[in-house]
Amino acid sequence: MNKRKKQRIAFAIFRLLSLVVVGILLWILGFIIYRGAGTISWEFLTSAPTDGMTGGGILPAIVGTLCLVAGSVLFAFPVGLMSGIYMNEYAGNGFVVKFIRVMTNNLGGIPSIVFGLFGMALFVNTFGFGDSIIAGSFTLGLLILPLIIRTTEEALKAIPQSFRSGSLALGASRFQTIVRVTLPMAFPNIVTGLILSIGRVSGETAPILFTVAAYFLPRLPHSIFDQVMALPYHLYVVATSGTDIEASRPIAYGTALTLIVIVLLMNLLAGLLRRYFGGKVKTD
Amino acid sequence: MQGLFALSGSVTSLAIILIIIFLFKEGLGLFRSSQIEKGYVLAVNVSNPVGALDSRQIKEIFDYAYTNWAEIGGKDAEIIPFRFEEIFSIYDETELGNDYELLPGKLGELIASEPNILAFLPERYAPKENADVRILPLRTISPRSFFGGIEWMPTATPAAQFGVFPLIMGTLWVSFFAILIALPLGLGVAIYLSELADERMRKLLKPAIELLAGIPSVVYGFFGLVVLVPLIQRALNLPVGETALAGSLILAIMALPTIITIAEDAMRATPKAMREASLALGATHWQTIYRVIVPYASSGIMAAVVLGIGRAIGETMAVLMVTGNAAVMPRSMFESVRTIPATIAAELGEAPSGGTHYQSLFLLGCILFLITMVVSISAEIISKQPINKGL
Amino acid sequence: MIETKHIDFYYGAFHALKDVSIRIEPHTVTAFIGPSGCGKSTFLRLFNRMNDLIDGVRLTGECIVDGVNIYNKSVQVDDLRKKVGMVFQKPNPFPKSIFENVAYGLRVNDVQNKAFITQRVEESLKSAALWEEVKDKLKKSAFELSGGQQQRLCIARALAVSPSILLMDEPASALDPISTSKIEELIHVLKQEYTIVIVTHNMQQAARVSDRTGFFMLGELVEYSDTKKMFLNPEKVETQNYITGRFG
Repeated sequence: MNKRKKQRIAFAIFRLLSLVVVGILLWILGFIIYRGAGTISWEFLTSAPTDGMTGGGILPAIVGTLCLVAGSVLFAFPVGLMSGIYMNEYAGNGFVVKFIRVMTNNLGGIPSIVFGLFGMALFVNTFGFGDSIIAGSFTLGLLILPLIIRTTEEALKAIPQSFRSGSLALGASRFQTIVRVTLPMAFPNIVTGLILSIGRVSGETAPILFTVAAYFLPRLPHSIFDQVMALPYHLYVVATSGTDIEASRPIAYGTALTLIVIVLLMNLLAGLLRRYFGGKVKTD
Repeated sequence: MQGLFALSGSVTSLAIILIIIFLFKEGLGLFRSSQIEKGYVLAVNVSNPVGALDSRQIKEIFDYAYTNWAEIGGKDAEIIPFRFEEIFSIYDETELGNDYELLPGKLGELIASEPNILAFLPERYAPKENADVRILPLRTISPRSFFGGIEWMPTATPAAQFGVFPLIMGTLWVSFFAILIALPLGLGVAIYLSELADERMRKLLKPAIELLAGIPSVVYGFFGLVVLVPLIQRALNLPVGETALAGSLILAIMALPTIITIAEDAMRATPKAMREASLALGATHWQTIYRVIVPYASSGIMAAVVLGIGRAIGETMAVLMVTGNAAVMPRSMFESVRTIPATIAAELGEAPSGGTHYQSLFLLGCILFLITMVVSISAEIISKQPINKGL
Repeated sequence: MIETKHIDFYYGAFHALKDVSIRIEPHTVTAFIGPSGCGKSTFLRLFNRMNDLIDGVRLTGECIVDGVNIYNKSVQVDDLRKKVGMVFQKPNPFPKSIFENVAYGLRVNDVQNKAFITQRVEESLKSAALWEEVKDKLKKSAFELSGGQQQRLCIARALAVSPSILLMDEPASALDPISTSKIEELIHVLKQEYTIVIVTHNMQQAARVSDRTGFFMLGELVEYSDTKKMFLNPEKVETQNYITGRFG
């Protein structure tokens, strides 16, 4: 076989493989959208589960997931932002930054179930929060911290040094320079990272299994020390251990679709932000 | 102000330290725990010369797998295992007195009368050691029985079995096949993206791959459960579809984005000069790819594989939902297996806090933690390998 | 023999070469000189279609190598590149052994015969005046050689596939003076067998090694004549200015 023919065959295979990967994605999305669309309704989204989770809706799970998103972001965003600023603007390029970067990477590589174990040991038991929104939020917050730090660092790194020098030359302090010049310019990219981490938090199950998630709790939470239901855990429960798995299938499809829609929305939003601000940051 | 920034910077390091402390404190507690249920003892007749038994022997005796003391280093006589509850079929409640005050005495008599007995008794009702009764010395759970044991029965009485070997093998088994499936697929897509796709195709494919990475693992698990599992069962005519194969397939899909992204970046980083040198010698684009670009990017591709394996090993929910979770040594792709993360997720809710079961699950967490540390660090080292070694 | 007729070349909207026509005779050394950005490298890279790798380029006119317009659809670009070898500005050996670097071109052209490959590798290394220095360490990494040796290795690598034309894109610009003179000596010897086209920003080098010289400026071939004539008695005032250092 001559080399040109080999090339044609090889390239045809790569095209095919790429199609396969896109096909897998479309298969998963298509399947869940197709099966879930029938379940989704205003009522499904705004009522509590009934009849042993074979009827009703998923409102408590949606509210619970929103609480967890809010809680984890409230914790992780400021910490991650400041950490990224510290690494890029203050700490130079010495051993400390390298160490923090390695630690951050390592934290990012730890499986989510280990976060669950840790959250249970520290927040639920040692701090005595019990299974609660606050324990779950801290656990999930730690999980997305590396992502937020990394995107903050990258966003700051993309700002040319000349802007900082310009501000410093006018007599602004380092802190003023960060707040007035560097951060505003880097903000769109930082927010993109934040949005992606919201997508991640909404879908994580393993870390909340033992820190917050309730099997069945139709009322809405009153305080941060309450347990809540959450969408991903609800999907797991409904799919595997409901009282009547066949009867609760539509609920499972609807929950999966809700999760997928959240992830799609977050990715879309992040993509739009990137596109909208992408040009601006460079040319400004 | 700078102090506050520095403090935030230290949070991730602090988190890792705390994770290590809490995981290992709970986990290593297992090796200080007694081999049988807390608050219980094992008693034998004084005439029985047997010494301390290991957890496996105790379990096998009460499972009637060992029936003769000679099998475990004693004299040639039949073993009579005796569980505390059996006393109530011998004596009436009234015969045992108020608050069971006569119970220790009756148990003592029983042991005295039966030279070949092995009695599993609550400490508070056990007879004192005397001329007829001897309480067996107990060991703590040994690291050897944990890492080398092949039975995972964390709630068995009298001696729970914490053999983690099948779980480790199950984890590696499922992950290994996942990468075997994902690698050719991921590498092919990475080559397509970095070498063949035009800007328009890239703009379509890149978001698709990001989306693939963004789908929650529980949704993958659910998809696997309702689509792949029945498909596998029907296609291969198996009794159940929840198999290692289902786990590997789902994990392969989940590991794809990691492999594709990192491998593509590595191939894009191949210097233009290498590419031009090859093409200028009359090599085709494909020859240039497999003879120059892929070898040049090989350390990056290796790092992609290692991180992909790391992702697969740590994945919990999807595997939990599709592999069937039988804690046995994996023998084929078409049987049920159980991984470490799935074990933690499935059992921690039922394990009483502070007990041996609870501790053993934390120890599993430690193993997982160590594996992922090794993965992160080796990926780091591999991707920094100098190129010119690849001869 | 190379001949171009009315070549115009564009990078997107940028007009990089303007109506360039030239004739290059076999077994000569032709040098292209000119200020940077003048299009001399772009022009050289037309002869083995290296510019094809860049997106958004456009070409009109004809480029004829051995009687065939190489931009015809029927021309296979890998066959063309086998016939028209190239040496680049910076030495770019593959991260492979010295032997495998030279054998690469044979292997990708489906040569299987081991004895033949070994023989060609030796011949090529000898032609590139590198054999004596590397014959005992052919299995060693090419990266262990010095910069000058690496560049001669790249020349050997190009010679191994038996091209008839050798393009050299500033082959000595990254090298020290001693390595440079070795390369220049080599060019003298190689021209017995090959047609050599060399791009250089070093006028002395052009004067030393070439038979004919073309002077480019702003995408135009300003002057093209015998090297001696060009350097002693240029026709155009721009050439005069450039050669005497009043420009560029």
